[in-house]
Amino acid sequence: MTNFVTNVVRRFMSDLDAPSPAVKQSATALAVVFAAILSLAVPGLGYSDPQLGVSGLGTIAFATVLSLVATRVESLTRYAMIIPVIDLIGLGAFRAGTGGAESLFSSLIILPVVWLAAASGRRYIVVAAVGTSIALMFPYIVSLTTPGTPGEWLRGAFAPIIFGSAAAIINEMARQSRKQLSEIEAMADDKERMLDRTVRYAAQLEESEANYRAYERLFRGVWGAVTEQSVIGTDATGLIDAWNPGATKILGPTAEDAEDKLHIFDFHLPEELEDRARELNYPPGETVLNPGFSALVESARLGRAESREWTYVRADGSHVPVQLSVTRRVDEAGATLGYLFVASDVTQAREVARLKDEFVGLISHELRTPLSSILGYLELMRDDEENPLSPEHMMYLSVAERNAHRLLRLVGDLLFTAQVESGRFPLDARDMPLGPIVTAAVESARPVADAAGIILEQVLPQTTVTVHGDPLRLGQAVDNLISNAIKFTPRGGTVTLALETNDHDAVITVRDTGMGIAESELDKLFSRFFRATTATRNAVPGVGLGLTITKAIVLAHKGTMGVESEEGVGTQFRMTLPLMPVAATV
Amino acid sequence: MSATVVVADDDPDIRTLVSLSVVKAGLTMVASAEDGAQALAAIREHRPDLAILDVSMPEMTGLEICRAVREDASFHDLRILLLSASVDENTQAVGIAAGADYFLAKPFSPRELVAWLAVGKEAR
Repeated sequence: MTNFVTNVVRRFMSDLDAPSPAVKQSATALAVVFAAILSLAVPGLGYSDPQLGVSGLGTIAFATVLSLVATRVESLTRYAMIIPVIDLIGLGAFRAGTGGAESLFSSLIILPVVWLAAASGRRYIVVAAVGTSIALMFPYIVSLTTPGTPGEWLRGAFAPIIFGSAAAIINEMARQSRKQLSEIEAMADDKERMLDRTVRYAAQLEESEANYRAYERLFRGVWGAVTEQSVIGTDATGLIDAWNPGATKILGPTAEDAEDKLHIFDFHLPEELEDRARELNYPPGETVLNPGFSALVESARLGRAESREWTYVRADGSHVPVQLSVTRRVDEAGATLGYLFVASDVTQAREVARLKDEFVGLISHELRTPLSSILGYLELMRDDEENPLSPEHMMYLSVAERNAHRLLRLVGDLLFTAQVESGRFPLDARDMPLGPIVTAAVESARPVADAAGIILEQVLPQTTVTVHGDPLRLGQAVDNLISNAIKFTPRGGTVTLALETNDHDAVITVRDTGMGIAESELDKLFSRFFRATTATRNAVPGVGLGLTITKAIVLAHKGTMGVESEEGVGTQFRMTLPLMPVAATV
Repeated sequence: MSATVVVADDDPDIRTLVSLSVVKAGLTMVASAEDGAQALAAIREHRPDLAILDVSMPEMTGLEICRAVREDASFHDLRILLLSASVDENTQAVGIAAGADYFLAKPFSPRELVAWLAVGKEAR
């Protein structure tokens, strides 16, 4: 609409400024037609020189034809200024033919003068003045006479001055109005550009709004779809400002009941929060906020995502164990706006873990009971002094005993593996020297090594090597490595157990000159029930739990476990355990 | 007079194994029970010097018997040895807390049990 108005105004302006030659000529043409009719119709007017009058009319008719051509043919338009000059000549002739100085139609000269004067450029003032002079002096020009009276001279010279002055004024006015017009045009252009920009902005705004709505719909959809996790948003003080359907499902209250009314810590066990605050060493009573809440968001506040188990308290007072991750909400500048609490109900997971533990425990118990009888009665038989067994029977008995012990160890290993998996790995840790562990392991392995014809060596440092650990478990780990080394080393080989230290760690290495392990199998070596092909090929007994357990024990002590091996040359296991800082001796 | 003993285990083979050890050590077997209720009844009836009880038994566990017996001041002098095939590391602590005096994990060596029992033979 605004566009349309602008266009109309613009066309009008440009027509005013530059009407076609035909339009400009039309005034002169009409006036001359009117004059011609008058001079015929009104008695007493008539032609003083019909030939001259008619040729004047003809000239103007010619000029009119030219103006039509110049209007039609665009390339000729720039020559249109010749038309008013021809008009002046034509009018000069017409005036001369209708009485000369007495002609009623002298004033028509003003029409082409105005045309000329209004043209852009001061030279047209001169053209107008000269043209006027020619027109007024026309009778003398055609009759090749000179003006007779001074009045006639004066008319020839003075009138052009008057017309020239008028032309100058018109020219200046036209120039001014052209300038105004161009300013108005510039303003109109500006306005149009602004309008364009506004329209563009409006379109952009509309698009952004549509995007925003689409995102909002998506967000609402996702938010509503999370029904198994509780997602709660709070401000920096813990006041809840977002509450998803999962939160309602797990905790009870609806978003309406919770948002802007309740705090996140209303759903936590106060004791747990206090314990955590103590763990983080919050001085009691000195925190700005609720200390429990500070403890809850401690890691998130420092920009770390944290996930740990907490107990939520439902609206009805019942408890629900959850795995809760807390993250920080920030504004564009990175300042903390609040926190997000995403929690999963782990009741079921805990129940499954409990059932699994229970099952493993039950199986172990049920396997141990018959083993107790087997081992007990075998021992009774061995110890029966009244009916001593023959050496042969005694040998059979040993085999039965050895295998019963193997079964027993297997049961223990299975149970231990299950404990490692469930993350419940009992460690009775204390500061302890490692040397005795190594020595004990070597001593207990010596009979087996001797029987297998294997040389067993140990390398110990001069100083005491102290680590923080469970002596029983570490002993088990070292025992596993030595018994493996012996099992996989042929008669005549050597097994070396060394304890060393570097800057931070105690390092125990168990090196054998055994059959080795294929390189492709090294990374699977510590997986449960994995057996190296060299082990199965050589019928070395085992189920593939020893290294799994050993690694689990070492990892539980924050240590590392590594292996290097070459098939047919030997294997070296390397266990590192963090050293305890050496206590200053006085 | 040698010390008297009540043995209770739901597994008959283990029960026999323990009983044999008791006799071998020169103690006097006064009763052998195959569940917790029987064991408690035998303890109340025979008032032995020592009760050797399996932890997991039907009717009443060894732990429950311990607690029941310790509530009765007249059993102040009764010594209790708990036997367990449990794999839970806490069992021993729980047993001692329930009032047991000793704890022996299965599988156990009859030889060692006999030696241990023989030391306390003349406890009375």
